[in-house]
Amino acid sequence: MKNRLRELRTAREWSQSDLAEKLGVSRQTVNAIETERYDPSLPLAFKAARLFRLPIEEIFAGE
Amino acid sequence: MNKPNLPDEIDVRKKDYSFRADMKVNGWMLVALIISSASDVFFPDQIKAWPPACRTIIAVAPFLFILLWVRALTRWSRGMDELHRRITLSAIMFAVSATFFVVALWHVLAKVGIWRSGFLGVFDPNSVWVILSVMTASYFHGHRIFNRRYQ
Repeated sequence: MKNRLRELRTAREWSQSDLAEKLGVSRQTVNAIETERYDPSLPLAFKAARLFRLPIEEIFAGE
Repeated sequence: MNKPNLPDEIDVRKKDYSFRADMKVNGWMLVALIISSASDVFFPDQIKAWPPACRTIIAVAPFLFILLWVRALTRWSRGMDELHRRITLSAIMFAVSATFFVVALWHVLAKVGIWRSGFLGVFDPNSVWVILSVMTASYFHGHRIFNRRYQ
């Protein structure tokens, strides 16, 4: 699934570890989502949307 | 936000390895392994002369500790994030399947006389410590396979 997680994270000058800590996941999970190797669950996607204060569809897009 | 549990915490080859976390997760398995291997390897002959009640306790004890181990493993995996939980559960399923395959194959080969059940008089697939060792080895192998996909 395409997503803007890396773009949003770097815009805030957060490292992957920073974002991982804020989302309560591991750095590997953030990396796997950013590189589109792993699609997050709905609760995690909502958590990211809340964190970036954006609608979920502006961060994650379907194929 | 709480730091999620990581599979690397119980892998001695990784930099995130924590002896405390490993013992918290696998301590009961170690106890089962020690009891089973002690009765099988260190005193296989002496144990036959012991009273039946004593032998029953020694034979059953590893299974009680295995139940405690499964409980600890379940709690630990609940504390993981979703990606690592998925990888770990896949690795556990791989380990259980691989162990079943190895033990079943061993028995079939022993049954047709190609393989002896007690290979070298020690590696008996009926022993809990052999089963746990095969399971542990295949867990780490499975974990490496499933983890590779997300790196």
